[in-house]
Amino acid sequence: MAGMFAKLRQRIIEAGLSADELDRIARAPLHLNSAGFDEWGLDPQTIKTAVASFKWLYKSYFRVETKNIDRLPKGRAVVVGNHGGQIPIDAMMVILSMLFEGEPPRIGRGMVERWVSSLPWIADFYMRCGQIVGDQKNCKDLLEKDETVVVFPEGVKGSGKTIEKKYQLQGFGSGFLRLTLETGSPVVPVAIIGHEEAYPGLVDAKPIAKTLGIPYLPITPLFPWLGFMGLVPLPTKIQIRYCEPIHFDANPDATDEEVRAMVERVRMTLQKEINQGLLERGDRIYT
Amino acid sequence: MRFGNVLITGATGGLARLVAERLKESHELVGADARSWPSQAAFPGEFVEVSYTHRKMADIFRKHRFHTLIHMGRIRTTSEANFHERYNVNVLGTRNLLDLAKKYGVKNVVVFSTFHVYGAHGLNPMHITEDQPLRASQLFPELQDAVDLDHYATNFLLQNPGIHTTILRPTNVVGSRLQNDITKILKSQYCPMVMGFDPMMQFIDQEDMARAIILAMRANHSGIYNVIGEGVIPYSHAIELAGGTPIPIPPFVAYSAASILKAVGMSRIPKHLIDYIRYPTLLSDERFRKDFNYAPLISCVESLKNLRHLEN
Repeated sequence: MAGMFAKLRQRIIEAGLSADELDRIARAPLHLNSAGFDEWGLDPQTIKTAVASFKWLYKSYFRVETKNIDRLPKGRAVVVGNHGGQIPIDAMMVILSMLFEGEPPRIGRGMVERWVSSLPWIADFYMRCGQIVGDQKNCKDLLEKDETVVVFPEGVKGSGKTIEKKYQLQGFGSGFLRLTLETGSPVVPVAIIGHEEAYPGLVDAKPIAKTLGIPYLPITPLFPWLGFMGLVPLPTKIQIRYCEPIHFDANPDATDEEVRAMVERVRMTLQKEINQGLLERGDRIYT
Repeated sequence: MRFGNVLITGATGGLARLVAERLKESHELVGADARSWPSQAAFPGEFVEVSYTHRKMADIFRKHRFHTLIHMGRIRTTSEANFHERYNVNVLGTRNLLDLAKKYGVKNVVVFSTFHVYGAHGLNPMHITEDQPLRASQLFPELQDAVDLDHYATNFLLQNPGIHTTILRPTNVVGSRLQNDITKILKSQYCPMVMGFDPMMQFIDQEDMARAIILAMRANHSGIYNVIGEGVIPYSHAIELAGGTPIPIPPFVAYSAASILKAVGMSRIPKHLIDYIRYPTLLSDERFRKDFNYAPLISCVESLKNLRHLEN
């Protein structure tokens, strides 16, 4: 059984990844142990399988265009993105952009919602792909090991927002900023344009979501009317725009008010970049 | 050259015997255990079959004037004894031993606790440090004795700055000479897994663990330390390396199946252990590495592959 699974995985990797893509994954800095995993549970074979399986989403479906990725510094960094579009396509696209187009290529460490850790199969899959439960200690440990952490400080307030609030940044949590101060990491805002229209939530069916124990349940023009087909995102064109890194040189014990001011600076930088991206894109959502 | 006398509790256990073999040239050893000596090979020193709460324990301390106490005498498997027996041995026994250590001038104390005290939760940080709360008994009251033992030892450490007390919280210790739950599972042909969950796990080889205990007993300071071996590995790979076949069990039947199978004597896997093969419970051993200049010598792959080799 395990042998069959390994063979299938190998075939997916061989069929799905070019030599250049394999080379990029091989060049991503990893610290593997004797069993071939890193101390966070990352497994290069699972990464390769996932990249081979999902790269068509990045390259063909959403036709992702990345701007200014050379602004992403080497070593530790906190990449801060805008959240939206109900399902975390945005995180996947940002992480793939770092792998496909970053120099050196790297495997971004997304901070996963806590409740994901109780989901069978999915929790392990995230972990093998290098994605970690969004715990402050986890984030700090990763930064201290010079990893690139990807966060969405809007949390579910951002991902669950309905279409009339698209590209309007919701309130930011401040935990990420204290961690950047503690670890001396630069913050790199990254504006993601296109994904917020991919899954346009019209209404959030809050009472049903509460009964099901999930953070939100979007009603879209296609879901639940088309059943599972309605879960397929629209093929919008996605643009990922990296901003200049922001270096904060402040005491990690800064007051909450001071930290909030720094968070607001990150939020405004990101909102400005989003607005610029939207202006350049105009009405061409799908092309 | 002979150094101070050493008392090793839980002396019939595989790990305690490994420690004793390593210390026999340099120390006068006394082994104590409530269980009788099981094998033909003799304990390398004096062996006493005694309950840790028995008055005879004081005579042993008085007679030998120990320099070091290595307390490994904890009932580890919940299948071995009921809750009250484990409370007697693990909590009251520990209290008596530590009180005697103080009374009879023991200089170094090593307490062998377990990482189970942290509890297995989906919400644990990835690398648990020693300052995390001990939450094990929140979910499984049967682990209360392990948590109490650890708390008791911690109080002893704080109240007796003159005694070098080291509390070790090791991850899964595995080795061909051990009889603990995880080793037994990995040595068996069919190993249970919780369907949909293949957590990353840490292991430490019996030889590395014995070395860590000896490093700790020579400490000239006190502290609480996580101890792990090399590597982090998915449970399914560990089973594969140990030569077993994983049997996935749906989570909603796994706990009741463990209880029923244990009740009818078909399995000895305690219910709480299912959470430890369901959620990753990984430790950070940075403090131990730094303070003791420790690095494991045996990789997790090597250790798991060696598991079925018989030595005695």
